[in-house]
Amino acid sequence: MSSNPRRRRLAAALALTTALALTAAACGDDGTSGDKGKEGSGKGEITFWDNNGGVRTEVWKEIIADFEKKNPDIKVNYVGIPAESVQSKYDTAIQGGGLPDVGGVGAAMLAAIAAQNALEPLDDRLAKSPLKDKLSTAMVDSVRAAGGGEQMFTLPTSANNGTLWYRTDLFEAAGLDEPSTWTKFYAAAEKLTDKGKNHFGYTIRGGEGSIAQALDAAYGQSGITEFWNGDKTTVNDPKNVAALEKYVGLFKKVTPSADLNNDFKKMVAQWDSGEIGMLSHNLGSYQDHLKALEGKFRGIPNPTLDDGTRVQVSNPVDGIGIFKSSKNKTAAWKFVEFALSHESNSKWNEAAGAIPSNLEAAGDGWVQSAEATKLAAAALNDGTIKIVQLPYYLPDWNSLSKADNEPNFQKVLLGKMSAKDFLDTLAGQLDEAQAEWKKQQ
Amino acid sequence: MARPAAVAKPPPRPRSTRARSATPRRLPYLLIAPAGLLMLGFIAYPVGSVFYYSLQHYNPTKPWRNGFAGLDNFDEIFTSDPLFWDTLVFSAKWVVVEVGLQLLLGLALALIVNQTFAGRALGRALVFSPWAVSGVLTSVIWVLLYNSQTGVTRYLADLGIGEYGTSWLSDTSTVFSAAIVADLWRGVPFFAILILADLQSVSKDLYEAAEVDGAGRLRQFFHITLPHLKDAIVLSTLLRAVWEFNNVDLLYTLTGGGPAGMTTTLPLYVANTSVDAHDFGYASALTTVAFVILLFFSFAYLRLSKFGRNES
Repeated sequence: MSSNPRRRRLAAALALTTALALTAAACGDDGTSGDKGKEGSGKGEITFWDNNGGVRTEVWKEIIADFEKKNPDIKVNYVGIPAESVQSKYDTAIQGGGLPDVGGVGAAMLAAIAAQNALEPLDDRLAKSPLKDKLSTAMVDSVRAAGGGEQMFTLPTSANNGTLWYRTDLFEAAGLDEPSTWTKFYAAAEKLTDKGKNHFGYTIRGGEGSIAQALDAAYGQSGITEFWNGDKTTVNDPKNVAALEKYVGLFKKVTPSADLNNDFKKMVAQWDSGEIGMLSHNLGSYQDHLKALEGKFRGIPNPTLDDGTRVQVSNPVDGIGIFKSSKNKTAAWKFVEFALSHESNSKWNEAAGAIPSNLEAAGDGWVQSAEATKLAAAALNDGTIKIVQLPYYLPDWNSLSKADNEPNFQKVLLGKMSAKDFLDTLAGQLDEAQAEWKKQQ
Repeated sequence: MARPAAVAKPPPRPRSTRARSATPRRLPYLLIAPAGLLMLGFIAYPVGSVFYYSLQHYNPTKPWRNGFAGLDNFDEIFTSDPLFWDTLVFSAKWVVVEVGLQLLLGLALALIVNQTFAGRALGRALVFSPWAVSGVLTSVIWVLLYNSQTGVTRYLADLGIGEYGTSWLSDTSTVFSAAIVADLWRGVPFFAILILADLQSVSKDLYEAAEVDGAGRLRQFFHITLPHLKDAIVLSTLLRAVWEFNNVDLLYTLTGGGPAGMTTTLPLYVANTSVDAHDFGYASALTTVAFVILLFFSFAYLRLSKFGRNES
């Protein structure tokens, strides 16, 4: 260190000032948005943000190559953004600039992005497009509702569905039937557990993303089919409370205790690498299971009640939208149309194991051979599933279903909070958010 | 021998008095101007922006609520937000334990690798190597080490120690220690490097004189080494305390702030408030409070430790 005390103090002050200033600069925001963009010439470069970068990079690059071959005047710059950080990337770009021309936007984050006035309404373009009448009406309605109900800010690319993945090899060895009902599910979870041998019946999601899964289990067992009863939510209905109590009772009894911090990646990795009987996740993890457990697993829609009633909460529909700030909306729309064409939509969904939004793609052969997708699509389309629509349209939904309540769900798992208190707290927050949202409509 | 007379050079062309005096005066300012402008752009502006938004209700997803808040956000922080106090207490505990242990272990390692022994260069490289590993990679390494299927607890269970399916990060009694150990691995080399650098400048004469006077190793350490290291220790602990207070990446990756919010630091709470809830006004107020706390702590620490004032 310098031997001059004054110089040393000056150096210390500089280093400290910088460190402290970085503390205060950590939450900067300039609050500007509203660039109206341009239609552009329909030629040149556009930028596309993939909202599930890494996982879907390969198939998007293939689709982009096909598009550029067909549209040699347009170059698409692909940017893959990991699913867990895509919302903050969009928020940062909306406030600070740098939005892409086109981007993947799932229904769960659509309300927050639409509220920031960043997305271009697509109704008029769709009305004049060959895609008109070729997209699943249910999915179109879903993205319209998630965007506030009046305008359509994204076109749906795929739907997902809650799936119970189970290990056929372990079930056969234990002489168990497929866990098609909740009764069979609980019985199998218990029978497959042998903690001394590192065998567990089920893995529960205790970390990030736990709320939607917990609600899926609660509504699935209670049989309640509506999220709202007038202005009040049904999440804390006594039947849901009882169902959730039973579900969280699985923790540590038939699940690894490490599940407490499980997010999607940890949960799926644990199931794919261990000896765990069942996993609840949507169709999106199909490829991961295929790589790790080919021939040893199946995916079926969530269990039914004993009378055959199947109730599930809605999964956010994935979509693709054009940003208002785009300087080349004509080219961006060409890309959107191409991505949702029969061939591209089929290709993308086959890679993801999801249900195509393009009705022609939904009839393709691969859907019939990908069992989990086929069963999910059939269950959704034949009306045997009663879907509880989660309120993705609420600007507060993201925080209520994440940071505000995930710690409380962990408390429930740890026995430090009752399921009733947890659901009552959540219900109070939801009722308040719904009332505020309605007031602004 | 007489030197040959130098060939007389013609005198330089006289410049105006104004030019002669102005250029040297302006030159330093011109040279630091680019850095100064960058600092203004990248530090002063964001800091000012945070102060501004701390006095606003600002949530872009709820434009109907936006507007001047006065001191409302601060009122809520201090009177009706238990999470603020919980996360502040946890942040303080995290900083004290982390910085204390990192200093002790860093000092011990620096003293060891300052000795002369075979393989010292390799030893130094090993000690410093975690500091060269990126934060993301560090997080991944420790996530894998603590994983219930591939990590330490799995192998301990194979040996009959503990149960299968456990992770120290999911156990409320071990999560704090487990996170501390992971961050120690990354932080200790910082102290070791700084202290070793300062150890190199201690005059050997002092130790020789102390030995002549009969002082043992321990006495030499407390009366020569430690006083010499004082300023390095004060500055490094202060900087590290600020960094540890602001720790987000490692804890976010390892625990997500859980279980049940047990490892949520104040900056992690700020991140959740801004990123998930989009409540930038309140998050800015929380950040401003954190800034003021760190500012007072830093001045008090420097004053109490008499940093840079013990030169004899």
